[in-house]
Amino acid sequence: MLAVIGLLSCSNDPIDDTGLLITGRSQCYVTFFDLLGSDHRTVLVSGQTKIDTTALTVTAVARFGTNMQRVKPYCSVVTDAIVEPTMGIWTDFRQPQTYTVVSGNRQVRKTYTVTVTLQQ
Amino acid sequence: MRHYLFPLIPVVAALLTVGCQPSVSPDEGPLRNDLLKKTTGPAVVGDRIEFAYAIGTLEGDLKTVRAEATLPGGTGTGFDRFSWYTNRSTGVDEPLATAGDTATKGPVSTANILDVATNKAITLRYYYYPTAASQGKDVSFRFSVTSSTGKEVSIQSPTYRISRMDMKRSIVLADGAKAYISLADMTAYTKAEVEQNNLASKIDLVYIYRPTLGAGNYAFGHALVAPSNADYLKDVVLPTGLAKPRTAIDKRVDVKDAQLRGTAGFDVYIDDIDLERTTFTNVADYAYGMAADQGAFVKTADGAYAAYVYVNGVNNTAKTMTVSIKRLKLN
Repeated sequence: MLAVIGLLSCSNDPIDDTGLLITGRSQCYVTFFDLLGSDHRTVLVSGQTKIDTTALTVTAVARFGTNMQRVKPYCSVVTDAIVEPTMGIWTDFRQPQTYTVVSGNRQVRKTYTVTVTLQQ
Repeated sequence: MRHYLFPLIPVVAALLTVGCQPSVSPDEGPLRNDLLKKTTGPAVVGDRIEFAYAIGTLEGDLKTVRAEATLPGGTGTGFDRFSWYTNRSTGVDEPLATAGDTATKGPVSTANILDVATNKAITLRYYYYPTAASQGKDVSFRFSVTSSTGKEVSIQSPTYRISRMDMKRSIVLADGAKAYISLADMTAYTKAEVEQNNLASKIDLVYIYRPTLGAGNYAFGHALVAPSNADYLKDVVLPTGLAKPRTAIDKRVDVKDAQLRGTAGFDVYIDDIDLERTTFTNVADYAYGMAADQGAFVKTADGAYAAYVYVNGVNNTAKTMTVSIKRLKLN
């Protein structure tokens, strides 16, 4: 009995190339999006960010004066999902950017288009 | 055979006696000293390094102290006349005169101990002011103390690198007046001064204050703008002949440099390496909405200087902003 428990506890859960656990979850969506300026403070106008999990779009408004060439995106996704390519790096957001959310079981992929407009 | 060994007996006994005595290092003798470098920030011209030199004697009196730097310091270098103690009633540190005849000649500073009958163990302060001639060089210090019994002990400090940065504090910028900043000069000029002194090619930043800006009257506030930025300077009559360099400006809100701030309690320092390695990829040519304790990393368009401009304070009514600058020459 103990041997069986021991064997089960030592079983290797699958992990992906980045070392993250592959689970059984198939949910695949964005729950939150933010954009930071060079001072690591949000540049987005509060209440203007809209996430459409059907149309697979994120729209947001950056404050007047934001240098859209150097902003850092962040998002939250459903449990166990990941985002490709990695967010959290300085990015040129003068044009819409696309990010793919991949489910926890790595079987479902949904590509979101993120569009940030600048207050003029 | 036995008689040959007899003369060696006293020698062996003497060696055993000496060998069993505990060794006495200077730190364990009746006259002792120790050293603490109190300053945690970089050694920058315009600021000082502070040492606490602790001395004490169990025999005779403390007499004189001496500090020798490997590089001569600037004005103000030397021993302070006061030691400090904490008033147990108030919790406030209070000064007590413990040293007199403080003098500095070249790299050597000396002082005599006062009230030697009571000052058997004291901690003296020694200040060292780096000079422009010592920028980029290493400096170390040897502290020593002598007692009335003729004994002397000393202690050698580690080596410290003098920063290559230049620092200038409390430059008052005024919208429409002292608004043109030269990083080469670390000075703010008026439009007239720029024109009269042919400084147009040396201006890297323009200070403006606009409560709001844009079609939507968005909050803007105090701003540093590169001469290249026509959008934010369109209502500014720039000095004649002003070049339009695109100075890279990268705003920060969380770099409260203690030396630029001029107050203790913030152990954050811009050092040479920060200005050497800061990258300016895709950064803006402006920083707006600036407030006290915020700042911006900047790099001149010709790549000659990188600097951190720290905001000491802003005044919306007077339309002024006081800044302090650390600057490093890159090439």
